[in-house]
Amino acid sequence: MNNLDEEDRNAIRESLSRFLAAEADESALRRGIDLAPGYSPGLWQQVCEMGLPGIAVPEEFGGVGGGAKDVEMVCSELGKSLLPIPFVESCVIGATLLTASSGCANLRQVINAVVSGKSIVAVGGDASFVPLQDHDHSLVFNDDQTVSGVTSLVLHATLSDFFLLGTGSSGNTKVVIVPKSERITFEPQRANDPLLRPARVSFNNAAAISLKELTPTDLENARMRGVAALAALQAGAARAIFEITVEYLKTRYQFGRPIGSFQALKHMAADLLIEVESATSAAQAAADAIDQNAPEVGRTVALAGFVCSDAFRDVAAQAIQMHGGIAYTQEHIAHLYWRRSRAFAPMLGSAQKHREDYLTAWEKVA
Amino acid sequence: MSNITRESSPEALQSTVNTWLDAHWDTENRRPVNAAQYDERSWYKQVLDAGYCVPSWSTKWFGLGLTMQQGAMIERTFRARKAPGAGRDRYHLGAITLSKMGNAELKREMLPELLTGPVCCLLYSEPNAGSDLAGVRTKADQDGDSFVINGQKVWTSDAVSADYGMLLARTDWDVPKHQGVTFFLFPMKQPGVEIRPINQITGESEFNEVFITDARVPERFVIGELNEGWRSFQTAIAYERLIMGQGITERKRGAANEGVHPLIALANKAGRLHDPVFRQRIAQALAYREVNRLTNERAKNEMQSTGAATLMSLGKLAMSRIQHGEAAIATDLLGAESILDGEGAMDAANANFDAAKAYMNSIGGGTDQIQRNIIAEKVLQLPKEPDANKGLAFREVKSSSGPV
Repeated sequence: MNNLDEEDRNAIRESLSRFLAAEADESALRRGIDLAPGYSPGLWQQVCEMGLPGIAVPEEFGGVGGGAKDVEMVCSELGKSLLPIPFVESCVIGATLLTASSGCANLRQVINAVVSGKSIVAVGGDASFVPLQDHDHSLVFNDDQTVSGVTSLVLHATLSDFFLLGTGSSGNTKVVIVPKSERITFEPQRANDPLLRPARVSFNNAAAISLKELTPTDLENARMRGVAALAALQAGAARAIFEITVEYLKTRYQFGRPIGSFQALKHMAADLLIEVESATSAAQAAADAIDQNAPEVGRTVALAGFVCSDAFRDVAAQAIQMHGGIAYTQEHIAHLYWRRSRAFAPMLGSAQKHREDYLTAWEKVA
Repeated sequence: MSNITRESSPEALQSTVNTWLDAHWDTENRRPVNAAQYDERSWYKQVLDAGYCVPSWSTKWFGLGLTMQQGAMIERTFRARKAPGAGRDRYHLGAITLSKMGNAELKREMLPELLTGPVCCLLYSEPNAGSDLAGVRTKADQDGDSFVINGQKVWTSDAVSADYGMLLARTDWDVPKHQGVTFFLFPMKQPGVEIRPINQITGESEFNEVFITDARVPERFVIGELNEGWRSFQTAIAYERLIMGQGITERKRGAANEGVHPLIALANKAGRLHDPVFRQRIAQALAYREVNRLTNERAKNEMQSTGAATLMSLGKLAMSRIQHGEAAIATDLLGAESILDGEGAMDAANANFDAAKAYMNSIGGGTDQIQRNIIAEKVLQLPKEPDANKGLAFREVKSSSGPV
């Protein structure tokens, strides 16, 4: 069931797109480099006022009641802008897991706060869980009551009110939610992408709520929704830097003609258009498969996982080459797309891992 | 005449078609009901009269005014009953071009003929007009109410069986290249048309050379306007490229999504299915194919909702890397065995055939390089390269075939 129809969806897309073009343009993005969260908190507030954090959350939890399709739509727009707000972590992965564990009554308030965007959930843990694969983590859940240890590569940590942590071998993952407290400390990690804020987060017997009732299916569902949302961010970002590049090919003159009239560049652009459109096709297919709970959902999400990641990385990399010297400077925006494409690549599973999962799914078709 | 419309449900559509087939087609004997034997022209005529031949065309022009999706469903229903003749609005390049570009009189006269006949071949390429197709040098000289044709065409499939050919020929040598060509519906069965098969690198001979010496075509068989053939031709070739993007040139390998994928089966047989390098390559190959299918679906929806053909032009180029890529993986999986061929080594024979056949997609219908130019200029609106022959009369244009 999806509460949004095509008309609603177009209206949301249009207002989000207009908002991002006006408020999150390149200069706003660059101001984020010097701000602690990597973006202006006012921008996040406005995204929340548009109701976006709850877009795919069922109405019974105060959400809008949309589906993965709507997350795809929001993420493809956010991806274009590079705005590093915690939408995927908090509103997709976090909200999916929290609403799945709603049996636990004291979570209701947490969910309400996440759906309204008043609270942000950060996600951390090991590769069996959904975040960046942290090989360093040393988390220990003490009788499911408290958490100790360290997990790194946590995005949006300093702004987060809750930490969703998971560890364990697959199928047997333990997940807890830890409210912000003085028993949690942060150590910022410098990222290659100047807009991202990963941190090492230390927990010193911090009080935790165990989400015991989460099943492997719940975790897989949250993982897939996260991968699909990230894929849509990548697809949107790939399209944006591609459009910037094509525009440059029309306006930059050398040898007395626009450089876009040279076949060497035309052919690169044509090949990249295939990557851009492939990414959009794959991201949309993954969202549709999730919404329809299609039998091939795992395969389709894996497909989007690597197609979108590879497309963004290739398009962003070639964009610098096609621009030439101007994109070797920090004044040009291309490097921000390029850095983001490299940062996204290992998140929620590498392209190699997704390709392996994809082939495994095909092997089961007999 | 059936009473189905664009608004008809798939169920209603299918049931109407099945009822019609019940009354007209004997599936068991694969012939029309009450017919002693199958005669293609008379059966095609029945299908045409019922509107199932070209269902997406308007009711005024032999169709039912349905959507392409509904047309595809009619074709599937026919196929399930082993009945031929439906859905020619999707694959009959000659009739499609004529219906889009021809004048009303010619359409009335010739569409029923083309749609109930066997095939219509394409007389486009020439030895010196390949990628630069507008440089055709086959002459069409007016003589009374007909044209006399002289020249050589190449890469013509079905030339032997065709009754008609879609012919691109030069009618004015004193204007720039694109402005002096005319598109004709050319009668193939006449003196002065000599056909020689080409031996292709796949071992097949589907293509021919066609030598035309003083053959004639009536003036009323001009498709579109005199000297405006390039525009008509664009319509024809765009459609051909579109269906190539759906992989029509490939060897048939059983229905998609049925059973284990051929590359996985081959890897398993070769004992390489657990090799991580091959696993990555096979996954990527399968993905290219699946993503192209998804993009083709988006292209159809886009065409239907907005009329835009942005995505349509990508399929053929994407198909090249799919076909060349899959053939390369199959060859590598076979290892030394791939040097063999013939019926004693079918896996190798198939891999070698597919590797050769992939060029059919990456060269035929316009090379990948030409296709990239088209995408860049038509879709991305990148500027054209300066034309060395701009404004030059075609007579003055340099060619490897020498001066005119």
